[in-house]
Amino acid sequence: MDVIDLRILLAPAISFGCAVLIFLLGARARWRRVLALGAAVTKFIVILSLLPGSLAGKVYVFEVLEFLPGVGISFRADALGMFFALVSSTLWVLTTVYAIGYMKGRHARVRFFGFFALCVSTTVGIAFAENLLTLFLFYEMLTICTYPLVVHDETPEALRAGRKYLAYTLLGGAALLLGMILVQSLAGTLSFSHAGVLPAEAGSGALLATFVTLIGGFGVKAAIMPLHGWLPAAMVAPTPVSALLHAVAVVKAGVFGILRVVHNIFGVDLLAQLGYASWLAWVAAFTIVAASLIALAQDNLKRRLAYSTISQLSYIVLGAALLTPFAALAAVVHIANQAFAKITMFFVAGAIERSTGKTQVHQLAGIGRTMPWTMAAFTIAALSFIGVPLFAGFVTKWYLSLGALQAGAWWFVLLMILSALLNAAYWLPIVYLAWFRTPAAESAPIHEAEALLLVPTLVAAAYVLLLGISMQVSWLPFSLAQAAVRFVAGL
Amino acid sequence: MELWLPLAAAVPLVAGALTPAIARRHPGLARPWALAVAAWVLAAAVQLTRRVVLEGPFSYPLGGWARPYGIELRFDEFSAVAVVIAMVAGLVLVYSGPYMRLALRATRLPWYYSLLLINLGGLVGFVTTGDLFNLFVFMEIVSVSSYALVAVAGGRIAPLAAFKYLMAGAVSSALILFCIGVLHALTGTLNMADIAARLATAEAPAPILLALAGLTAGLLVKSALFPMHAWLPDAHASAPSPVSAMLSALVVKVGVFGLLRVYPMFAAVDVVRLAPMYEILAWLGALSIVAGALLALFQQDIKLMLAYSTISNIGYIVLGIGLANELGMTGAGIHIANHAIIKATLFLAAGAIIHQTGRRTLHALRGVGHVMPWTCLALAVGVFSIVGLPPTVGFPGKWYLALGALEAGRPGFAVVLLAGAVLIFVYYIRILNAFYFRSPSEVGMLSVREAPVAMLLPVLVLAALCLAGGLLGRWPAMLIGPAIARLPGGG
Amino acid sequence: MVGLWLNIDYAAFVALFCIGLYVVLAKQNLIKKLLGLNIMETAVFAFIVTSGMVDFGAAPIISDDTTGPFASPLPHALILTGIVVALSITALALSLIVEIYRRCGTIEADELKGVE
Repeated sequence: MDVIDLRILLAPAISFGCAVLIFLLGARARWRRVLALGAAVTKFIVILSLLPGSLAGKVYVFEVLEFLPGVGISFRADALGMFFALVSSTLWVLTTVYAIGYMKGRHARVRFFGFFALCVSTTVGIAFAENLLTLFLFYEMLTICTYPLVVHDETPEALRAGRKYLAYTLLGGAALLLGMILVQSLAGTLSFSHAGVLPAEAGSGALLATFVTLIGGFGVKAAIMPLHGWLPAAMVAPTPVSALLHAVAVVKAGVFGILRVVHNIFGVDLLAQLGYASWLAWVAAFTIVAASLIALAQDNLKRRLAYSTISQLSYIVLGAALLTPFAALAAVVHIANQAFAKITMFFVAGAIERSTGKTQVHQLAGIGRTMPWTMAAFTIAALSFIGVPLFAGFVTKWYLSLGALQAGAWWFVLLMILSALLNAAYWLPIVYLAWFRTPAAESAPIHEAEALLLVPTLVAAAYVLLLGISMQVSWLPFSLAQAAVRFVAGL
Repeated sequence: MELWLPLAAAVPLVAGALTPAIARRHPGLARPWALAVAAWVLAAAVQLTRRVVLEGPFSYPLGGWARPYGIELRFDEFSAVAVVIAMVAGLVLVYSGPYMRLALRATRLPWYYSLLLINLGGLVGFVTTGDLFNLFVFMEIVSVSSYALVAVAGGRIAPLAAFKYLMAGAVSSALILFCIGVLHALTGTLNMADIAARLATAEAPAPILLALAGLTAGLLVKSALFPMHAWLPDAHASAPSPVSAMLSALVVKVGVFGLLRVYPMFAAVDVVRLAPMYEILAWLGALSIVAGALLALFQQDIKLMLAYSTISNIGYIVLGIGLANELGMTGAGIHIANHAIIKATLFLAAGAIIHQTGRRTLHALRGVGHVMPWTCLALAVGVFSIVGLPPTVGFPGKWYLALGALEAGRPGFAVVLLAGAVLIFVYYIRILNAFYFRSPSEVGMLSVREAPVAMLLPVLVLAALCLAGGLLGRWPAMLIGPAIARLPGGG
Repeated sequence: MVGLWLNIDYAAFVALFCIGLYVVLAKQNLIKKLLGLNIMETAVFAFIVTSGMVDFGAAPIISDDTTGPFASPLPHALILTGIVVALSITALALSLIVEIYRRCGTIEADELKGVE
């Protein structure tokens, strides 16, 4: 059922309005904080209010404007879009609190919080996009709005990283535009639909070109190898930026786009017919393993997190590429699982850096004794990535393996096991170092992270636990994910 | 009333001639007088456009002499670009106040406004005529006033740039006049519709081909298509900024608009096929897109960068005409008007920055985004528009052009289009980067103030038009639809 | 009106046009370039007037005892307009040359290239 509802326009509009207000009035710290937090909470509530309807199968639509004949900007909140939007808005609340604490005393805070709000606005726009054009519009806006955040420190290194980021994402955007034009040319429409829009009769050359350009375009943000080069460089940004944007919003926009392309532009049946998806699955598998191997070699904590992100994102891509319902479920669920776990880790990294100035893994000996709560959160997230049952990551691996078996590709189950082992190899040493080793003599005493940083970290970690144990309870993310898959798979 | 059509061109011409007399005692009167005339022309253009939307194309025989004895003025859907012409000219006039007060002696100001009014009159007359020789005359009025405007103020090389412009323009005009003579000798009439009818029964192919080739060559030189572009960069860059805006936005379009007017004359001719001509146009257009973008990459002076990007955008328009299908020509047609708005925004904003800081190179202008926030915001909007990001006004043109390329079975041209957009973005990012994210390299930067209201307001209005024109992108496309259908290859 | 296209007149004017173009491109002195432009324009005007020629045609002026055929007067009107345009361009170009000389000290194109 399609229901017209203003709230899905309100959701991105709130943070957009908030951003404008921050730019105009944000010089006073109190105004800035009130605006940022108020908008975050309001947006979360608005999206949450749409949840019951979504679970019941309602789809919310709102057409904004017919932009060119036959092509327009319009919003449509189906279960998949709701899932993504809900994850982002929840995390935005947490990250805003964290950012207020982290950015104390830093420069250009008006610009920071203003563009921060704009980024989340565009992310929700991507989540609720009804057609490729709307998605593309907000996707490119996301690129532009994240740039000032990446180069926030304005050091030569930051500017270089920003240039690299832009180079990759702009090329991806150009590929996307080409793919979009191909879709319009072949299908006559850009709207997402249940079973895909592309006709099977279109020449295989044209379909292949469409697939490559669309997946390539989204694949840049989704950090599929070898398009991942911008991500480690972008770690030079302040931690709240890395946390929300590069572990959640920007990269998730990429995989979200891939999910849309696979399910709603091509359709599972057409792709199964054409056989392109198996190539994608192998590329994803390669990324999972290769990124994990590189992560093993990283000593800088944030870089290790970055490569782990690259690896985890390809779980989602693999889930989409396997074309089976269970795999799709794993892909959707992993959007949340990976987001919460990774953001916990980034929060921890930032808290450690702020409290102690330490950024390298080998420096972290014994830190569990002096920052116990922070490291507890880290441990929970690490166990989730390794795939220990009762933690969120296990749910993903379980369903992904089931999906692989459903597709008759049992070797991907081995891949899951290999990946779990690799994850253990690069997370457990940190956990061990932190809890079980004595620290070197410290020049200054180390305190636990301050409340503004600690509380979001703990909430995120708690959520990781929650996601792991609450599979059958309605109203919680898993059932929304199931609703999403029902929608995209037409079940 | 019937007289709107002839008066629309006649009033600014006569008013321009009278300006020095009116402003003799009080030079300050020249600007309000010019503004009043421009406002009147805008109202006339809107009125005429309304009529063509309701009734279709209409004409007015000058002096009551019906064609082919008399000169026929004709307003069709393409002529609606007169609205854009009047709007840009009006905003340029507002902007010229503070700018030219510094650049010119007070006694010379009336001559400047006189030239601008004559230029406006020539442009409006050019788009509203149905007689071939009348077309030539208005083309010359526009050209001669432009040559003078380039040299009216400005630096050391302005007269030289104006001379080069004059040479190129006059040589191409001579060629065009020659071809008009050939056509007149062949058909005995100068009315474009009549020529089209009479050429159909002509027998000798060689002169017709000569006329076609000569007209194309002359008009392409006037539109600065690569490789006949050498006159443009210096002329547009060394002119005063309001003049640069008029030139890049409007005057340079005279060439491509002339192509749209002239080609239908050859449509019904059996002995000469237009297809090879279109082929040449498409290739030259594609070459221009890439060459203009590449040449711009190596510039440090902002205005030179903008001038080269004009060459690139003219390439888009010519490519669209050369694709010879409905989508491509629609893209070309709307890009003529859209690019005018974008280029005016960019040149006026850049001009304001140069005016306030006294600097023109990227290196010297670092950090200006913080001291002139509104101007640089408008410039940023212009940058996104010229790259072609939705929802700005630069997107619809590129959309239609790319679709047209695919429809014509030339995907390579679509790739060239997008490659040009990516290249353009690369060098415009350098501008935005330097303005916002680099610390100032000149001490004086910190004391720079925002542009005066009379300069800021037109810039902001144009930036708003960049966004509005994009969101309402389908209206111009629908408007010129009937005219496109009448073009050879467009139906 | 449409004579043989191998007509010697037309060919001569086309040749004159090309000579003018050559002067514009090849000569370095700005005034010489301007002269070349004028040669080109003159060639075009002559061409247009000649195209109105009618064998044994009289001047197109009506008086009491005139009978046809007349030469076509339309091209005459055309070139009058053209001459005015050419005149204004020449005047503008000359004043520009004066200004260039004042600022750059030379009016040779190759020397001016170095000035920029």
